[in-house]
Amino acid sequence: MNDRVTRRGFVATVGAIAIAGCSGVTGDRSADRSTAVGDSATSVATTSTASGEGSLPPLADRALVLSIEPPKLREAAVSGGVSKDGIPAIDQPRFETADQVGSRLAPGDVVFGVARNGVAKAYPQSILVHHEVCNDTLDGTPVSVTYCPLTGTAVGFERGETTFGVSGRLVNDNLIMYDRATEHWWPQVLATAVPGWNADGGTSDTSDGRTNESGSTRTKATESTRPDATGSGTANATIGQSLREFRVVWTTWERWREQFPDTWVLTEDTGYIRDYGRDPYGSYNPRNGYYEPESEPLFPPLDTDDRYPTKAVVMGARTADGAIAFHKRSLRREGVIAGALDGTPHVGVHDDRLDTAYVYRNPDRASVTATADGVQVADTVHSPDELPLERVHAFDAMWFAWHGFYPGTSVHG
Amino acid sequence: MGEPIRRTFRALRIVASRWDGRVILVATGLAYLIGYSFAVGDLASTGRGGVSLLVVDAPLDRALQSTGYLSFEPIAALEAGPVTYLFSPIDAGLAVVLAALVGINVALTYLGLVQPRACGMEPSVGLLAAVPALLSGAACCGPVVLIAIGVKATGVLITGFQLLLPIAVVLLTLSVVLVGRRIDPTPA
Repeated sequence: MNDRVTRRGFVATVGAIAIAGCSGVTGDRSADRSTAVGDSATSVATTSTASGEGSLPPLADRALVLSIEPPKLREAAVSGGVSKDGIPAIDQPRFETADQVGSRLAPGDVVFGVARNGVAKAYPQSILVHHEVCNDTLDGTPVSVTYCPLTGTAVGFERGETTFGVSGRLVNDNLIMYDRATEHWWPQVLATAVPGWNADGGTSDTSDGRTNESGSTRTKATESTRPDATGSGTANATIGQSLREFRVVWTTWERWREQFPDTWVLTEDTGYIRDYGRDPYGSYNPRNGYYEPESEPLFPPLDTDDRYPTKAVVMGARTADGAIAFHKRSLRREGVIAGALDGTPHVGVHDDRLDTAYVYRNPDRASVTATADGVQVADTVHSPDELPLERVHAFDAMWFAWHGFYPGTSVHG
Repeated sequence: MGEPIRRTFRALRIVASRWDGRVILVATGLAYLIGYSFAVGDLASTGRGGVSLLVVDAPLDRALQSTGYLSFEPIAALEAGPVTYLFSPIDAGLAVVLAALVGINVALTYLGLVQPRACGMEPSVGLLAAVPALLSGAACCGPVVLIAIGVKATGVLITGFQLLLPIAVVLLTLSVVLVGRRIDPTPA
C-alpha cells in the first residue's frame, strides 16, 4: 500500500528560488493554499487509520447485472503494464476554494463534480487521470471518487472503513480497483466484486450463472436480499455483489463553478509527484488523442458494436435487471428520450446547466417533455435532476466500453 | 578477460584522452538523455513559467516504490520556465546508464573513423541499439507509443514493451564491444 505521506513544497518565485518548505512531520502547509476542508479533514483522519485490515466496503441491496460471471471476468483481466498501486490512489486529498483555483483550470477543462447536502466538490480530470481513485469523505461518509481514462467513466462509491486502490489490471479496458480490506477486484463500471488476489484460481460458488431475458447473467444476490449488506460478510461471499454508488457529474469547470460557486476543488497537492499539466492519453479540451470519438481502444473490448463511434459518449445505467444507454449527443439535442430497460419504460433527460443527463424509471409511462424552463412531467415543470420519478444511477461512458460490458443493453438516441 | 573486451577498454581510454572524443561522448549522451526523458514522459514542455521545486516527504521510501517494471515513483518535480522534469532516482540512473552507453557507442564509432587503423566500422549499430529504450515509455495504463499510433495492446505486447529497456542495455553493451574491438589501440 502507498505510504500516506504529505508533500513538502519548495516554492519559488520567478527568478529566485525561495524555499518555503513545510514540515512533513507536522503537516504545516504555510506555503500551500490548499486546506483540509471540513469533509476532507475527516478524510485524512479516516484514511490514516484505514490500514487495509478493516471491514468490507458497504454493499448494495441488490447486485448489478453482469453479462459475464465473475471468475470469467477475472480471466479476462489483463495487465495494464503498471504494478499494484503503480497508479497511486489519492488517500489524503486536499482542497481549495474556487477563487483560489486561478488559472490552474481553464473554463472548458473537465471536472468530476459531486454535490451533497450543500457541500460541492470538483475533482479535475487532469489530476484523476494520474490517480484514478480519490479516497475522500463526503458529508461524513467515506467515499471513493473514481475515474477510468480508458473507458471515460467517473463513478462514486461508498468505501466504508477501507480504501480502494488501483490494481494495475484492466478488464474491457476498464480500471479494476481493489479494496484494501479483502483485496477483491472491483471493475469500476461493473461495481461488482470479482475474485482478486485473495482468490485461489478465481472460482466462486456464489454465482449461479443464470441468464435473464436480455442475455445477461445474474448472481444469486440479484434474486434475493443480501443477508448482510453492511460490509461484515465473509470475503468470498462478496464475489458477485455490488458496491453502493453515487452520482459523479462529468462536466466542465466553467459549468460546475457557475452552478456551485462555493465548490471546493481538489488540489495538485496529492502527496505524489506527477506532471498534472500532461494527460498521457490526449486531451478533452480540445478533444484529441485517445479521446477522439473514432479512435481505437487500447485493449480489445469484450464485445464490439458499430452503431456508434467507438468512443461516442453514452449515458449508461444498469440495474439488477439489465442495462440501458442514451446517446449523449442525441440527448443534448432532443432534451428527453424515452427507452426501456428489460421491458420497463425509462427516460433520459438532458441537463443543459451541466451538460449532463439523468435516467429515470417511468413504469407508468408518464408524459415527460423538454421545455424552455425545464422538464415537464404531467402538468408540472421540474429541474432535470429533480423529476418526480425514480432516478437510476447513470454515468458517462465510451460506447465501446458500455457495450463491451453490457452487450444486451438497449440504446436510444 | 577476452581480447575484445581488453581492446574495448583500451579504445575507451583513448576516447577519454582526446578532447574531441570527450565532447562527442558527453554531447551525444546528453542529447540522448534529454530525448529519452521526453520519450518516457519524465521531461515535458508543460511548465507554467517561473521556477519551482517540489519534493515529497520520505523521499527514500518513495523512490523505492515501483510503478511498473523497471519504473519507480518520482520524488521531485522541477519546473523551470516552459519545462517540467520529474525526478525518479532509479529511473534517472537507468537513463544515465543508457545515455552513457549511447555516448560511448558514438564516441567509439567516431574514434574508429579518425583512427586510420580501425576497420569495418558500422556506425549505425550503436544508434539502432538505442532505439528500443525510446519506445519504452508507459502512460498510466499501457505504452504511450501504442496509444499514439492507435495499435491495440495484448498481454504479450505489454510484456514485450516491458523488456525494451533491458534489451536496449544489452544491445548497447554488445555494440560497445563490437565497435571497440575493431579499433586498434596503438597510436596512429
